Parts: sequence; C-alpha cells; structure tokens
Amino acid sequence: MARTPVVLLSILLAAAGCSHKPRIVVGSKNFTEQVVLGEIIAAQIERRLPGVEVDRKLDLGGTLLAHEALKSGSIDIYPEYTGTALTAVLHQPPIRDSEAGFQKLQDEYRKWQLEWMPPLGFNDSFAMVVMSDLAREQNLKTISDAVKRPWKLGVGYEFVERPDGLKGMQEAYGLRLEGDPITMDLGLLYQALRSKKVEMAAANATDGMLAHQEFTILEDDRHYFPPYECSLVVRSQILQQFPQLKGALEELSGKISNDTMRKLNAMADIDHKSASGVAREFIQTWK
Amino acid sequence: MRASEIFEVSMEHLLLVGISVGVALAIATPLAILLLTRARLRRWTLAAVNVIQTIPSLALFGLLLPIPFIGGVGKQTAIIALVLYALLPIVRNMVVGILGVDAGVRESAVAMGMTGSQVLWQVEVPLAIPTILAGVRIATVSTIGTATIAAAIGGGGLGTFVFRGIASANMTTVLAGAIPAALLAIIADEVLEWLERRLSY
Amino acid sequence: MPPLIEFRQVAYQVSGRDILRGVNLTIEDHETLVLLGRSGSGKTTLLKMINRLLEPSQGTITFQGKALSDWDPIRLRRSIGYVIQDGGLFPHHTVEQNVGLVPRLENWAAEKTQARVKELLEAVGLAASTYASRYPRQLSGGEKQRVGIARALAADPVLLLLDEPFSALDPVTRFGMQKHFAELTKSFGKTAIFVTHDIREALMLGTRIAVLKDGQIELIVPPNEFSKAETPEAKAFLATLESGAHAGV
Repeated sequence: MARTPVVLLSILLAAAGCSHKPRIVVGSKNFTEQVVLGEIIAAQIERRLPGVEVDRKLDLGGTLLAHEALKSGSIDIYPEYTGTALTAVLHQPPIRDSEAGFQKLQDEYRKWQLEWMPPLGFNDSFAMVVMSDLAREQNLKTISDAVKRPWKLGVGYEFVERPDGLKGMQEAYGLRLEGDPITMDLGLLYQALRSKKVEMAAANATDGMLAHQEFTILEDDRHYFPPYECSLVVRSQILQQFPQLKGALEELSGKISNDTMRKLNAMADIDHKSASGVAREFIQTWK
Repeated sequence: MRASEIFEVSMEHLLLVGISVGVALAIATPLAILLLTRARLRRWTLAAVNVIQTIPSLALFGLLLPIPFIGGVGKQTAIIALVLYALLPIVRNMVVGILGVDAGVRESAVAMGMTGSQVLWQVEVPLAIPTILAGVRIATVSTIGTATIAAAIGGGGLGTFVFRGIASANMTTVLAGAIPAALLAIIADEVLEWLERRLSY
Repeated sequence: MPPLIEFRQVAYQVSGRDILRGVNLTIEDHETLVLLGRSGSGKTTLLKMINRLLEPSQGTITFQGKALSDWDPIRLRRSIGYVIQDGGLFPHHTVEQNVGLVPRLENWAAEKTQARVKELLEAVGLAASTYASRYPRQLSGGEKQRVGIARALAADPVLLLLDEPFSALDPVTRFGMQKHFAELTKSFGKTAIFVTHDIREALMLGTRIAVLKDGQIELIVPPNEFSKAETPEAKAFLATLESGAHAGV
C-alpha cells in the first residue's frame, strides 16, 4: 500500500534531522593516557552540557595527525602537552619556563583559531626508564649516571623523529646506544624491558606501569626535557557555539596530578578497566 | 634520513621476509606430502590455514604477543605470524600442483613400475614446480607487505618508517618505508615469475 | 606351457556397481588378444587388472603361473609395457628420456640404454637424430603415440597392454599406426592385449577377439570366424561394418 513507503520516508527524514542535534567531537592520540583523558573530557561534557551529543574519535595515530584533525575541524578538542606542541607542532626550540612557554602557545595557536585551556595539573615528560634491579646494580639514579655504558634502547614511534627526542637527548648527555633504537607501539615498552629485549625505554612519566616498584625513572639531571604540561586544545568556534563549554572544561584544570594520572593509567593498563570505565570512576569520586 | 639507513632497514625487512618464507616452505613441504594421500586431513588443514588468512595481520601479531616463549616484543613473534600467513598459498599450491598433474602421466608412471616415491619426486613434483613457485611468489609478495606491521611490535623492517612517519605527519618518512617496500614486492614478483616461466613445460 | 595370463572368476564392483562379472580368460604367449566392447563394457578395467592398477573384488589372476597377488607390483609392471590413448609421455622429459625410462629404472648401462632407445625409435619410424632430443609438446599426436609404444617396448617386456592407443588419431594416421603396430608386434615377438571399440581395428590386429558386454565375455574367436558370430553384441559390431558407418559404437 502507499502508506509503507511514506512511513519509511518520514522515519528516514526524522533520523536525518536527528543529526542536526548539537555535537562536539572529542579526539585523542593513540596511547592509554590519551584515550583515558579523551573519555574524561567526553564524560565531563556529557555531564555538564546535557542535550549535546558527544562523538569520540580517539586513538588517532600521533601528535601531528591529531593536530591536523583539530585544525581541519574533524575533531573539536583533544589533550596536548606544552612541550610537544612547541617542538613538534610549532617547530620552535623548547622553552624551559612553563609560563613563558604557555603564553607562546596561546599566542601562536590563536592564529589557527585554537584555544589552550589552563593545564590539567600533570607533567607527562618523556622518561628514560630502566628496570629497578638494573638501576640498583649499576647505581643509576640520573641519566648522566647511565652515560658510562651503551644501551639497547626501546622507543615509540615519535621519540626518534621529534626535535625534543632522541637526537637532542644524545647531544645533551652523550648517551651511547647499542645498535639502532628498537621501535614499537608505546604500549609494549614495559613488556620489552621485562623480557630484556631492551634495557632502557623512552617512556612517559605518567605511565601506569610506573606505579610499580619494578621500574625506575632516571632523573633528567641536565633538564634536557622541557615541561610537558597537559592541557586541552579547543577550537574557538566550538567555545563560541557552546558558552557553557569553557566553564565545564576549566573545571578540570588543576584536578589531575602526576600521581592521579599514573593511577588512572594503571587502572586501564594493569587492571584492564575500559577507558570509559576509568573516566566514569574518576568523575564520580571527584564531584 | 640517509640512503644507507634506508638500505639497512630494507635489508632487515628482506631478512624478515626471507626467514618467514623459508620457514613456511620447510613446514609446508612435509605437510603437503602428508596431505596428498589423506583427503579428510587435507580438507581440514586447508580450511584451518584459510581461517588464519582471514585474521587481520595486526590482530594476529597482537594475539601472539602474550604467548610465552613464542610471543613477546621483537622479531620472533613477527616471524611466527608471517610464517602462519605464508602457509596457505604455499601449502595449497603444493597440494593442488601435485594433485593436478595429468592423470594419464601419473598412471603411466605407476604402470611403468615407478615406486610411489619415484613417481612423486621424478614426475609429480617437477611438473608441479610452476604451480608451487606461483604459491611461493604469492606468499613472498604478500609477506613483504604484511611484514611492515612487524614494526608495531618491535620487529623492525620498513614499517618502522611508515609508523614513525604517520605519527609525526612526515610524508617523507612514510615514503622512505613505503617505496622500498613496494619496490621489493615488484622485484620479487618479477624474479619469481621469470623463474616460473623458465621451469614450465 | 601354462598360459601367460589366466583369469578365474574375476569380478569387480565399485560403489555398488558391477563392472566385471565372473570373467574367465586365458591369454597365450605371442598372441594379440583384442578386447572389443562399448564404453562401460569393462574392457579397460579388465586390462588394468593385469598390471595391478586395479585389484579384483573377487577371483584370481595368474601371470606366468604365479598369482598376481604374489608378484611384487613394481617388478610386475617393469615387465609389462603400457600404452594409453594420449601417450602419457612425461612432458618434462625429452623423447630420449621418456623412451629410456624403464631401462634406467632397471639400471641399464648408459650406452646400452642409448642404443636401445635409438633402435626403438627407428623401429617405430622416428629418426633418432631428429626426435631424440625433442619434447612431447613438439610432437604430433601420431608421433606421441609412436614414442609411447617405443617406451613400452624399451625394457623388452614380456607383455604389452594397450588401451585404445589410436582412438584419438585422425583416420589416416590411425591406419598407418595400426599397420605399423601389427608389424612391430610380429617382429618383436610380443604378446599384446589391445583394448578398442573399433571393430575394424580388432579385425586387423587381433589374433583373437574377445567381445565384452556388461562386464562379461560374450565371445572369443579368431578374426576369420568373427563374421560368422551369432552372439548379440558381436552381431551389433558387425552391423556397423555393413552400413559403412565409422567403426566403433
């Protein structure tokens, strides 16, 4: 009968109309911490801006990929680190002074109509990690201590390419490597350390695995690595479109310390909780 | 990035491929011979390697990671996954090639008093070589491509450049991995195809 | 002298179908026995039992006085030459290698093999100098069949089995081969069992003709008695001669 196609058509139109609901797209890079943060941002927006649909495009394959996605409007917001943005995105020499660095980022990013929210509260620096037994055996506390011998180094995909990465660190310390660095997905570095496939790993200071006594971070005694304070980068247009968004995002500022971030990462990596589950717990315990 | 670095990594990639295809050949040969006379086992085995083929490569690498002894970060896990993928084209073509030898030729060989082993090695295998080589060719070319995934689990190879390039949005780096890989695949394809033609009757 | 081959109550079933029923047959030295029958009459099956390509379901077969089941199949087959319709030549071997196969399997000296190959190629009408190093794909149908026959004769077998060797050839070539074959078997003094569905070929080549129908031997007679045959299948074959139709049903 003529009625069925009409019914179908109106359902289709209604569904199409549904996509006109206000939407914010949350992105993230592709390691645990980023995905957890992405879920936290999404959960916070859903909580504070009901009626707004939140799309998640998490697990993007790297810093530059995420940045391009933000610039092009594929995503509206993602978590970034000050040091990373300065060197890898802006190709500027790293800035040791956090405030000066942050100011520079604000100014430059506004040219792209992108806003930096105040930092979340933790510094996820590159961290040179070794097994704690090894550190005890060879009396290693700082990176300078480690320079006395060559190292089999494990790295993620970015460390070798980045200006604030391997090359600069070798220049600053004179660290020698045994063979080429072994590249792998960041998530596998601790496994590689345990199975002695690598002796040192260029990991991240807030990795969940570091909650274990098993691993030791070698102190960056020459302060080679700049600050990598984590914050949220947002498209200005989205902030204008949703006036309550700014307040909701600023609520997160200063709420996540290094310890907190490590614990959240551990929940995901060691306890194998889902990122959305971790995000939910975080939002609930801190209200 | 220097040309010498690209060359070294390409050699690393070739080594991964060479070892994997070599091991796959070593496993496939006795396996194929076993399957020639056992129709039921043959069906099950071909079905099993077929299923392996359908597992997305990154997933197979990920599945093998936590297994003790053969898993863990590094080349050996990558090689095991690559061997598993190479098995299907090689085993299948060995079996099909040998079973596909003209029935009249096989019957004549038997009727002239050749032992089973003589029939296999002097008649069936030589005549099946083009088909077998085609299987090796398919396995090699696809392994060259799949081996790029090895970089995700610390296996090295040209995939390292590809992943690093993607992460830093550096097209040059991506191409430093992709182009040599494509070239290797083309060369391997041409060489093995030439060999196939030379050994056809 | 005991017969070369003796079939006693040989029967064969496959997938519930009777292919041969209670066949009794003796084959003497130096004769050319033609197995004549339609497709599905069981003639090829019967032939293949002699070199143990097939095993009977019931009954016994003896070869040179010894039960076939007591023969080592490899030794048996090396003393029996086998020729099939498409020749069955090894495509990856030269004519020389094909013909010399069984001598080589029997560890003949290289010169002896070479001489024998030359002798046989000449005997089948192929100049050794031209043909020895050719590959089967470079030969015509008739030439392939001749090589097939040369190969079957190479190790001087006691017996030749031929399964419709000339059916795929054009009539002119076929006729030439038939004549040649008759001369060959006589000059080499071989015993041959020849399967065909061509009554003319049977009459031309056989010293005896055995007519097979539905897995049984209806009649065995020498060719000169065949025209007087009264049995149904034999008469059916004879009828095809009269109408001038192509031989074979």
